[in-house]
Amino acid sequence: MKKNNSIKICLAQTNPKVGDLKKNIENHVEIISGAKVQGANLVVFPELSLTGYFLKDSVYDLGININTDESEVLTDIYEKTKDLDIAVIAGFVEKDADFNFYNSSCCISKGMLLNVHRKVYLPTYGMFEELRYFKPGDGFGVFDLNGVKVSVLTCEDAWHLSASYIAVNKGAHIIIVNSASPARGITAGLNKFNSMNMWEELLSVIAFYYKSYVIYVNRVGFEDGIGFSGGSCVFNPSGGMESKLDYLEEGEILADVNLNLLNNERFKTPLIRDENLNLTVKELENIINNHK
Amino acid sequence: MKHKIQLPKIDEYNFPLIYKHLSNFIKIEVLKAGVNSVVLGLSGGIDSAAACFLAVNALGKNNVTALIMPYKSSSESSMEDALKVVNMLGISRYIVDISKQINEYFKNETAANDNIGIKVRKGNKMARERMSILYDYSYKLNSLVLGTSNKSELLLGYGTLFGDMASALNPIGDIYKTQIYQLAEHLGIPKSIITKPPSADLWEGQSDETELGFTYETADGIMYLLIDKMYKPEVVASLGYDEVLVNEIYDKIKKSQYKRRMPLIAKISERTINIDFRYLRDWA
Repeated sequence: MKKNNSIKICLAQTNPKVGDLKKNIENHVEIISGAKVQGANLVVFPELSLTGYFLKDSVYDLGININTDESEVLTDIYEKTKDLDIAVIAGFVEKDADFNFYNSSCCISKGMLLNVHRKVYLPTYGMFEELRYFKPGDGFGVFDLNGVKVSVLTCEDAWHLSASYIAVNKGAHIIIVNSASPARGITAGLNKFNSMNMWEELLSVIAFYYKSYVIYVNRVGFEDGIGFSGGSCVFNPSGGMESKLDYLEEGEILADVNLNLLNNERFKTPLIRDENLNLTVKELENIINNHK
Repeated sequence: MKHKIQLPKIDEYNFPLIYKHLSNFIKIEVLKAGVNSVVLGLSGGIDSAAACFLAVNALGKNNVTALIMPYKSSSESSMEDALKVVNMLGISRYIVDISKQINEYFKNETAANDNIGIKVRKGNKMARERMSILYDYSYKLNSLVLGTSNKSELLLGYGTLFGDMASALNPIGDIYKTQIYQLAEHLGIPKSIITKPPSADLWEGQSDETELGFTYETADGIMYLLIDKMYKPEVVASLGYDEVLVNEIYDKIKKSQYKRRMPLIAKISERTINIDFRYLRDWA
């Protein structure tokens, strides 16, 4: 556990340059350095932060097998996290040994690869076409970052409440949601896009009912007329919003995630302790068996 | 209408973010192209005025140039209103009268001037002449052409292919005409521009709504349900809208789909432009 039982997380709301790994890596390194000066232990970047989002056929050009020497392209990030004793979560196009591509997020801590989350739920409807290019991941992992249990859900993953359910029941204290969410939909009387409102309601529910910290990091900028909404923020385990960045603007903000408050919330409202996993499994088995 | 699902209003609550978003769009997409300015045709109407106000907010008044391109039949108030926008925003402008080249082209036509065929052909020719001038100035001023077509006319196909529909980027193409009026109020566009009846001004006394046979307000309410909400025409009719009108509008949208797409390319190779050669325009 960190000093004072807390971890300082920098939310990096960036505008990735589509297809330009080199430029995006430079930007990441610069932001990591700045975040360290502010005292951050972890810097979180948006979904596909190293490549841009609507990649179409350039997925093929940008894939990196992170377990081979192809990962050398990320050397500057590895070295920076080592030099500064810091961790980073960044989004990239992952290529596996069988040449499948994934919408992945890596956690690199102190020069070491700590975790890779492959996005499970790949939206392929409306303006989205992820399943055309990417293979879905096969689970929601929890990893230990300096004694804090962290799980990464990428954008659409979080829209499936089963993903956060699995993460917290696997032990996650902090759910990181990195995204590339386009701003869309307006409503009279509402001072934000509908999509922003839906996100904030969802994340508040996850934080409150799964008694976790939720760290939302969304990107900004435009790709072919589609603008990403930003509004990165933190929800505490009481469901309240903290440390919010502006909509539509690049920026960084440091959030203090205090595990003592999580401890307090989980004692007062022990929803996770009381969760009946056996019952859920039994019901899920029934559902699956009756549908086949 | 009794039902609740209606075209959302641009109001004082959502305007600030829409304003910022559209300004960011212009700024980011223009800079990506390696230039920092735009040129647009200013007709004196509400759409081009709105696009012009957004562009000035995004790029600054020194990076927006208006072209006013009257034809002899254009109404005088159009010119006055266009100049009102120019003066309010303090932008540079050029006035290019297109009467000569249009008249020269049509001089041997024998059809009477009020013949609908010739009226439409002249209207299309004027729209394409203006496009051609805009693209010439785009090169001359190292600027992108800013589009000024709204969502209503794009969906209805009420525009000239490769004419007023042509542009490099369009900040208002996802905003219905009804919402353009609301946007205009918040942008501070002069009242005389907001209150006059919508007109393509291609011939004297032309009115969009007379020509279309319905008002934008009615059509927009229907198109919002058909397009944005993806309701089938019969569902829209079941919500209390005139079934004949709903079908007529849906037909117009379908029949004008070609205007909203790039030309078809016959596929011969293994990888064909815009079919399976797929990259963003922002690729480079």
